[in-house]
Amino acid sequence: MSSSPGISAFPKNDSNLFEWAGTIEGAPGTIYASLAFRISISFPSNYPYSAPTIKFETPCYHPNVDINGGAICLDILQDKWSAVYSVQTVLLSLQSLLGEPNNASPLNPDAANLWSNPEAFKVQLMKHYRPLDGSA
Amino acid sequence: MVSNAVRAQVAAKWQESFTRLNRSEPGISGLMAFSDAWTLATEFLKPRDLNDPKPRRQYDNRRVRMAFDTINKCRRLPVMMEVFLEDLHNSQYLIAREVESHMNLYSETSDPVIVRALIFRLVEWYNAWSPPAEQIIFYRLGQTIISAYMLSFQTHLFSVLPASFARGVKSLVAATLLGTVSPPSDQRDSALWHAFDMLRLVERYETLIASVGYEYIESHVHETCAGAWSEPMLPKLRAWMLEKIVPWMIWPFARGATNAEEAKTMMQGVGSRFEFHMHKTLCDLRTKEMFDIIVDFPDSVPALNDLKECLQRVDQRAELVQSLRRANRKRLLHPGADTKDILLQYVSTIKCLRIVDPPGVLLFKVADPIRRYLRYRPDTIRCIVASLVGDGESGDSLIDDSEPIHPLQQPEVENYADPEWIPEPVDAGPDFRANKTSDIISTLVSIYDSKDLFIKELQVLLAQRLLALKDGNLDRERRNVEILKIRFGESALQVCEVMLRDMTDSRRIDQHVQSQKPNVMHPTIISRHFWPALEVSDMVMPGQFQDLQEQYAKEFSSFKPDKVLRWHPHLGRIHLELELDDRTVEADVPPLEAAFIELFSEKNTWTVDELITRVGKVTRSAALKALGTWVDMRLLKEESENVFRLLSVAEDVTEDATPKLGMASLREDLPPVISVQQQQAEQMRVYWKFIEGMLTNLGSLGLDRIQAMLKLAPGYDRTIEQLANFMEAAKREGLVTVKDGLWKLGK
Repeated sequence: MSSSPGISAFPKNDSNLFEWAGTIEGAPGTIYASLAFRISISFPSNYPYSAPTIKFETPCYHPNVDINGGAICLDILQDKWSAVYSVQTVLLSLQSLLGEPNNASPLNPDAANLWSNPEAFKVQLMKHYRPLDGSA
Repeated sequence: MVSNAVRAQVAAKWQESFTRLNRSEPGISGLMAFSDAWTLATEFLKPRDLNDPKPRRQYDNRRVRMAFDTINKCRRLPVMMEVFLEDLHNSQYLIAREVESHMNLYSETSDPVIVRALIFRLVEWYNAWSPPAEQIIFYRLGQTIISAYMLSFQTHLFSVLPASFARGVKSLVAATLLGTVSPPSDQRDSALWHAFDMLRLVERYETLIASVGYEYIESHVHETCAGAWSEPMLPKLRAWMLEKIVPWMIWPFARGATNAEEAKTMMQGVGSRFEFHMHKTLCDLRTKEMFDIIVDFPDSVPALNDLKECLQRVDQRAELVQSLRRANRKRLLHPGADTKDILLQYVSTIKCLRIVDPPGVLLFKVADPIRRYLRYRPDTIRCIVASLVGDGESGDSLIDDSEPIHPLQQPEVENYADPEWIPEPVDAGPDFRANKTSDIISTLVSIYDSKDLFIKELQVLLAQRLLALKDGNLDRERRNVEILKIRFGESALQVCEVMLRDMTDSRRIDQHVQSQKPNVMHPTIISRHFWPALEVSDMVMPGQFQDLQEQYAKEFSSFKPDKVLRWHPHLGRIHLELELDDRTVEADVPPLEAAFIELFSEKNTWTVDELITRVGKVTRSAALKALGTWVDMRLLKEESENVFRLLSVAEDVTEDATPKLGMASLREDLPPVISVQQQQAEQMRVYWKFIEGMLTNLGSLGLDRIQAMLKLAPGYDRTIEQLANFMEAAKREGLVTVKDGLWKLGK
């Protein structure tokens, strides 16, 4: 629903507009380039006064992403949330987070430590990554 | 060993019989007399062979009479009857032989005359063998004897008549019918019917005779009425029945009637059956011809009235509906038929069936498939709208100009409080809606669920016509819009009003601009919001035209500072005067042509590609077409492929100069307003974003899911069929793939 390349999201069904599915592609030039990640977005009932809960459905090896649960550590999804953010801006932030992790507050310390070594990081990343199979 | 008692018994019986036979005559003279009488009587009654050349023995009537008397007195008549019937039975072979020889001949020749001869011959046999009624009718048993004879004779006769006899009788009867120009007193026929009657053939072959009547009526109706729709046939047929069939019927069906009144009662049953059959035949015929009758409307009104009357007597309504639906499917509702023709036939169908069946049940049933079909035709609305505004070229026959113009009628709810209310006819289906409106246009518009579609199409059509106007005379369009206002209501046509006002406003603005600074350009200024989308083009006019445009825009913005002109340079027409070395050419051409010829003033030879780069984005085919116009006017010449040269001096017409770009004459005169379909396609592009989004994130989806999701999008009003078409189109472009009804994005 947006014109920004590489990110998109859509309601999972027409009866419940609070659950969305989204897709984020790694920005070109980053280590995540050409990889696509499925995410789930769940809006609280008082949205937009509180942030939506966003999780990676596709395992994502990333310093700020929980490799098991898919939880994301991103300031604007927590204390820095503002009602002016839209789904598009959030997804754009996520896309840029992929390329520029915040190693200061890692959810995945291994990944944070490995970040400085792109080859080894890529190996770990691909070990966990599962390509999208096209069906939800 | 016989006992005495038995002996006495026998003797008593013997004595009794003897006394009975001998009566009280002396000696045995009575017995003798009886014996003589018996011999004479049996001899007299004995069936003889008619083919026997020996002349028949003559009997003295008095003596015969006396003999019968004697026998009667002796109470031996019953025995004699048995003997007679026995004799009869033994002689039947004679008749069988006769029948066989005749029927053999008949099966060879099929000539009803032979059957006729056979029947007369049989009557002869019958008469010859018949016990003389005048001799025996006085006795108590007389009547019994005669009827027993009759029965026995017939039983045997019918048992020997072969199956082909029925056929023979039929053709014989048919022959009598053909000859019934004369009254029934005709001797030949009368004799024949008499013979029929005597042999009791009429009873036996009553249905056969009736079937001859039916067939005759049928063939007459087909002969006289097929294709004759322009005059009422029923009165003629009735007169014919009276003149021809009724007199004929008297013989087989009213024989023995003593007076006219009695005959009438006797013939009532078969007469009404014949009449019914006549109606049914006519009804069948008209039902079969219905499609062509409708085509012929209004010349075929008499036929429709006939049919209406027939339908009241014969219940053929279902057949009529079926046959007409079949004919429509076969002859009308196929891709080969012009939408205009389908509409015309539909309108005629409406009018015709309203005559045949005023409540409209038949119409409803027949019209349903037509309406459904029309709904799927892409140009139906356009056709209807064109006829609404009375498009001159199309001949405009859908609506009668003399018909008063009504506002569109909405289907009314039945008013049960109306004292005139009548229930729906029995064969009306549950979905039947009594459409009491006779207004054709309302009916046509009601093909679609909403009139918005019509309004949109009207706007497009009006825009096309306004933009195509050359003389600036708006009266006709204004009149049309006024007429349509009556039909569709004021508010629906507001946009059209604005369009008309734009036209007059442009003229006024132009006058003002011209007064400030004369300009050869006279633009039409339209309000973008109210007009249907126009074709866009990125064409840039070269040279002087560009300057004119800029000058005009400057004047305009000083006159109306709050408005900005956006030019559509590719629309419109330009009147040019071209001065060449040896001649001056005047031409009235579209802008692209003008742009090209102007470029030729820079240099004499251009390639097509060079020209295209100078005017911005135009398609190659459009460019070639524009050049073709000039080639046709002998201003340009195609030197080699795609290279054109200006003919500053006219060249002689040479063979190769015959324009191979002959399509220049096929100018598209349609003004460049985007049609409703194109507009819809345009909108669909917006929704594609949604579809793309959902397919990216939700994987493969069924059509229903996509449709349900799209309903979330603002303003989405497509049906699932339209979506399916769109998805199919997207599939052809490789954007999506489908598997098991699930759509997913193509890779």
